[in-house]
Amino acid sequence: MADAAEESTHVSEPLDLVRLLLDEVVFVKLRGDRELKGRLHAYDSHCNLVLGEVEETIYVVDEEEESDEVKVRSAYVVGRRKLRWT
Amino acid sequence: MENPSIAHAQPHQHQQQGPQGQPVLGRGAAPLATPPAQQLPPQMFTTAAQLLDLTDKKLMVALRDGRKLIGVLRSWDQFANLVLQNTVERIFAHPNPSAGGLYADIDRGVFLVRGENVLLLGEIDLDKDDDPPAGYELAEPELVHRLAEEQKDKDKVKDRARLRKLASIGFEGENIGEVLL
Amino acid sequence: MLFFSFFKTLIDHEVTVELKNDIQIRGTLKSVDQYLNIRLDEISVVEELKYPHMSSVKNVFIRGSVVRYVHLPAGSVDVPLLEDATRRASQGEMRKILNRLT
Repeated sequence: MADAAEESTHVSEPLDLVRLLLDEVVFVKLRGDRELKGRLHAYDSHCNLVLGEVEETIYVVDEEEESDEVKVRSAYVVGRRKLRWT
Repeated sequence: MENPSIAHAQPHQHQQQGPQGQPVLGRGAAPLATPPAQQLPPQMFTTAAQLLDLTDKKLMVALRDGRKLIGVLRSWDQFANLVLQNTVERIFAHPNPSAGGLYADIDRGVFLVRGENVLLLGEIDLDKDDDPPAGYELAEPELVHRLAEEQKDKDKVKDRARLRKLASIGFEGENIGEVLL
Repeated sequence: MLFFSFFKTLIDHEVTVELKNDIQIRGTLKSVDQYLNIRLDEISVVEELKYPHMSSVKNVFIRGSVVRYVHLPAGSVDVPLLEDATRRASQGEMRKILNRLT
């Protein structure tokens, strides 16, 4: 793995950009009404993710009103196959 | 039990049985093509190993459309296609939030369930099997079915409104065209 | 493969699996396979009164494709090791593609 330093900054496909975000705080938009903010510890080609210090935002629709209530939870989380945007 | 290491993750890649692999039937199955040695025996980490000890057990199977089947698991493969025997479908209704709920069992016989429709299988604790679920009592299937359908219709209307509102602020529904129950 | 291997390091840990239908099941991780199907033992269901069908269930096989999250106890993750493994796995992927092209 002598060429590791060179390869670690090489970008040839979209997920290579994600590699540069390892150990950074990332914003993840999921399918459905959810968003995550957390530190990226691992990912794979399916966009499975391991995030630490996660803040999850769930958009809850108020039945009558326009206001969008927001629920927040924190935990270690492994997301599965939900990444749309990093 | 010693933990396996994630450090040597790569070398097994091509050894894995892909989705196109030979179907392996549940009972008396030949061992799956398994990755070479981890510190834990690799045959523990196959679908076959996970389902093997559920075979011939009484299970609750939750399907993606919300149905709950209770039956004896007789066969399966690596996609979690299942054969259930002596199956009953258990339906629930909870029309009044301040009162208890109702449930009923309907005999359904033998099921072959395609794996993609399976949410989870749960082994039923036979000691608790005869007790009704906490807060629920047995009722006539026709009644429970009618109440459950009414509730489902109400939920559907509510969910449609919710998705419409979320779509207007840029969210895509998680399950377009289907609601996981 | 990375996540399969990672989950194997979590065997015998307490985890909470949240499914796409919002049900949360806590239990001891007993097994995982290549599809990230999960076996949990000694389960308890969060808000169990909402899920009466789970009341007599003691252990579950969860299909990997319906999992939204797996919540892990914070101490159970070796973060530097995991990030290293991710870097190496992603480079391994790339090298394989390059090898195929040349």
